[in-house]
Amino acid sequence: MEPNASSQKSELSQAHQALSPWVALMMKRRRRFAIGALLICLTLTAGLSLLGLSGWFITACALAGIAFLLGLPVQLDVYVPGGGIRFFALLRTVARYIERLYNHDTVLRLLADLRYRVFGQLMRLDEAALRRERVSDWLGRLTADIDALDNLYLRLLMPPLVSLVVIVGLTLFIAIWLPALALWVGVALLILWASVTYGMARLGYVHSHRQVADQEGLRRLVVDQLQASAELIAYRSANWHRQHVEAHEEAALDNQRRLGRSIAIGNSLISVITGLLLLSVVWLGGMLVASGVITGPILVMLLLVILGVNEVFVPLPGAFAHLGGSAAAAERLNALGSEGQQGQQQSFSDQQLGLEMQGVTHCYPSSLMPALDSVSFHLAAGEWALITGRSGAGKSTLAALLTGRLAPSKGVVNVGGCVPAAVPEQERSQRIALLTQQVDLFDASLEENLRLGNPDADDEALWDVLKAVALDGWAQSLPGQLQTPVGERGQQLSGGQARRVALARLLLMDPSVVILDEPFAAIDHDTAVIVANTLSRWLVGRTTIFFVHHEVGRLLTRQITHHWHLSAGKLSPGK
Amino acid sequence: MTEQSLTARSWLKMLATLERRRLNLAAFLGILAGVQTVVIVVGLAWIVEQLVVHQQAPYPLLNVLIGLALCVLGRGLCLWGQEVISLEASLRIRQYARRQLLDKCWTLGPVWLAYHQSGALATQAVENIEALDGYFSRFYTQLRITSLLPLLILLVVLRLDYVVALFLLLSAPIIPLFMALVGMGAERINRDQFAAVARLSAHFLDRVRGMSTLQLFGRTASAHQEVWWATDDYRRLSMRTLRLAFLSSAVLEFFASVAIAVVAIYVGFGLLGYIEYGPAPSLTLFTGLAVLLLAPEFFQPLRTLSQHYHDRATALGAAESLVMVLNESSIQRSTFDEPAADNDIAVLQNVSVDYPIRGRVLGPMDLTIKKGSVIAISGPSGSGKSTLLALLAGFLTPSSGTLQLAQPRYAWLDQQPGLLHGTLADNLRLANPDADTPAMLSALHQAGLEELLNQLPDGLDTMIGERGVGLSGGQAQRLALARIYLSDADLILLDEPTASQDAETEAFVISALLAWAAQGRTMILATHHPAAIRAAQLHFYMQDGCLKEVRDGT
Repeated sequence: MEPNASSQKSELSQAHQALSPWVALMMKRRRRFAIGALLICLTLTAGLSLLGLSGWFITACALAGIAFLLGLPVQLDVYVPGGGIRFFALLRTVARYIERLYNHDTVLRLLADLRYRVFGQLMRLDEAALRRERVSDWLGRLTADIDALDNLYLRLLMPPLVSLVVIVGLTLFIAIWLPALALWVGVALLILWASVTYGMARLGYVHSHRQVADQEGLRRLVVDQLQASAELIAYRSANWHRQHVEAHEEAALDNQRRLGRSIAIGNSLISVITGLLLLSVVWLGGMLVASGVITGPILVMLLLVILGVNEVFVPLPGAFAHLGGSAAAAERLNALGSEGQQGQQQSFSDQQLGLEMQGVTHCYPSSLMPALDSVSFHLAAGEWALITGRSGAGKSTLAALLTGRLAPSKGVVNVGGCVPAAVPEQERSQRIALLTQQVDLFDASLEENLRLGNPDADDEALWDVLKAVALDGWAQSLPGQLQTPVGERGQQLSGGQARRVALARLLLMDPSVVILDEPFAAIDHDTAVIVANTLSRWLVGRTTIFFVHHEVGRLLTRQITHHWHLSAGKLSPGK
Repeated sequence: MTEQSLTARSWLKMLATLERRRLNLAAFLGILAGVQTVVIVVGLAWIVEQLVVHQQAPYPLLNVLIGLALCVLGRGLCLWGQEVISLEASLRIRQYARRQLLDKCWTLGPVWLAYHQSGALATQAVENIEALDGYFSRFYTQLRITSLLPLLILLVVLRLDYVVALFLLLSAPIIPLFMALVGMGAERINRDQFAAVARLSAHFLDRVRGMSTLQLFGRTASAHQEVWWATDDYRRLSMRTLRLAFLSSAVLEFFASVAIAVVAIYVGFGLLGYIEYGPAPSLTLFTGLAVLLLAPEFFQPLRTLSQHYHDRATALGAAESLVMVLNESSIQRSTFDEPAADNDIAVLQNVSVDYPIRGRVLGPMDLTIKKGSVIAISGPSGSGKSTLLALLAGFLTPSSGTLQLAQPRYAWLDQQPGLLHGTLADNLRLANPDADTPAMLSALHQAGLEELLNQLPDGLDTMIGERGVGLSGGQAQRLALARIYLSDADLILLDEPTASQDAETEAFVISALLAWAAQGRTMILATHHPAAIRAAQLHFYMQDGCLKEVRDGT
């Protein structure tokens, strides 16, 4: 919460805290991780071996050639090294191909795990949180954040480990001939490794942590400017606002500039350190060759292996400078809440359920006015009530409270003797049904959307409910009939059709309490009469609340026993 | 300025020319770094020969080593410079492109903007412009390096051993082929991945969006499983295409590896004296080692380029959607013509407005508005009231007829008042950036917002909107009204200023407005409120885009 108060050291521990649940999730795939790392190591080793062996081979050949000219006895097997060279050339290519394929597969598997986990978090959000979060921008960011964590695996976890293994391997390899030189090379490479991982992370943390927030701020300012353009032009304050936009943009770009410069320093450091290390080995190795400790071909082999080692470090600076960005993504996802944890649970009785509210007030965190203000009513089991009210009067809040997807700020909500929010979702949803004002159809077939109401319903039952809402003729005319996809958010359907599909979905259930928010909206009068007839038969014996914008209740008035009016969160007797 | 229709490519090219000097300098530094690599590698080969073949002690070679160390430092500096300078170019280009886009939105005007989602446009201005980064900071420079550096390396190799040079040269015609191959591969990976990921995200988002419904039907648990299975299914599918797509980059990898292997074996056999033709007999460890080390350097720029290839595809995709906005033609008034008479605010002669799809929405009409008059316009929604107000504000060009407008300071309020993400004070300053606190308080009072102000925790400094306190529709509208009293504008244009108010507030707001107008201001308002209509000097009824004067009662 207080980014200024934290020192740099605690930033990295913050990152650790934010990322650790996600790293733990990834570590469930330990075996794949190990195999993937091994494949990368194999690729890098094959590349280094190819260079080293080639260097050894041509130096040995050169020396043998000279000895041959001098008429000295020469014994050089050219076939084993030649074969080795070809083998490593091939191995590098094949290992790289398999490695990319394998690790990509892992990344996609992890994506499934990550989405599964995030969905689990979202499942437990209540209506208030969902309503706050259900903005399309937020949804876009959610996927971007998940992708950012998915990248963690290939960018932040794998490369430092692999490069460490290669450094150790290289040091041991040199130690076969020259333990002291190996120590020098090993220590130098380890220092480089630490500076392009830990050092880069510290250097870039603040900047990369800010990036998404910067973009969002800029985005908000641009939206403001576009939405208020008429007033900005009228009041001649366009430049005034434009200065805000540009100042913010300048700050955001400056932040990127600093981050980019840090990364450039890291990249250049790799080139300089490995280059100077190579020259130092030339110097030290040259002395060792002169004093006969090692042969020329061995020196050339070691030189070429060291020459190639910079490839191991290349992915590190960029990845670690962006650690802050990954941590920020993890923090946002962590803020969605944790999985699990349920309070004490209640269970409905088998009898029909009545509804009761006593002094219920609900206030959303961001608004000054309560959405519901001391609402009290009682509806006995099997009775019907009609509640009128304009949009924004508090109907959705009332419905969310009765269906247990929201806990009131004050007062008691009672459904059949239970607090609905304390009843497990599975049971609650079978006993309380709600037709929401905004119909949500899923991007699946008509059949699957209907079966949401009852997974065990057979085709005959589906056709029955379609007939009940006068959609059977339409469904029969569809090319795929029940298998026809409805499109994302039911876009292939008209508003009235979508509403009737949602009603049909409801008819497949057997609930005790039914809340219908604008059941006839967007449905023409003739069809509404058919639907109303079906509904009145189906609703007999069920405790029912109708929410209507205005007096369309005529279609159903006969059985309605209560009539209330909801206005600005207050419930009063209807006219 | 004539409007040329842009394409994504021509626009990117235009942006690149803006920072041509920096981009060229970055490419030059990249090539310089490459040249230094060549020097280091060749120097290394020479030293090795001195050490191993001529069995020199290292001390006499110290000068050369120091020279090489300087090259290493120089190369580090060049690489740093290349990265920093191309980053700078990319930052400036993005800043310019964003400015161009926002300017364009500005010239398109409020009427055009009202028909377009500001969220989608903001995505263009933020995400899509950021998506241009990789193209300018990496790909563009690397493309230039790739077109020159391999040639330089080839020349050096040619001096050392022409057979190896020939071998590399023979691969040269294959390189464009490879580039195309890799390019297609990269683009295909990009496209396939993009499509698969988009499908996947769509499925995921579809379920998240419908979370309330899933909760209502008790189906969150099964949807939870489904999310995993759907992702896993897509994994299986996309792995099938990736198996093929990764092949093309494997081919490039193969070529770089084979080049080393072939050169090593050629050089080795040549040094042994097994090859008796061509330059092979004159090979030394120096030339042999040098060409061996130069062979992978020959391919390195291309390999780097292929890594950045997706930057190009990303930028082109973003540019394509950006130029769609940049190519829109403006309907906003761009030339200004003042009325001849001094006390006329606006003179409309035979003016009509047509929209491309909806056809005629206004006119033809004649109307003269005198300074200081209060005019009420009533009529059914969609009859053209808003269009007339937009015309008077200069947001629209009439399709025909002449429109003369004085350019007074004016105030504007439409049905969707623009609220800024910021404090209450920021929102008021929109009308007058220099307004002081007493002026703001008095404006809030006149707009009937005093009660709200007293409820706000931080008074004028309370954040409002998405990240702060939510205002109701009526409060937002009154906040926009308060701006009018701060602006001291001479002409006040109001579109349904009391649409979201309850009766009591409405009466208060209207009387305050009328009192304000009575101080010699001109006010034109679209309204149904009887008090406002009564108080107006002129009352027009608008139907189907035409005005009829109503003389009430009398």
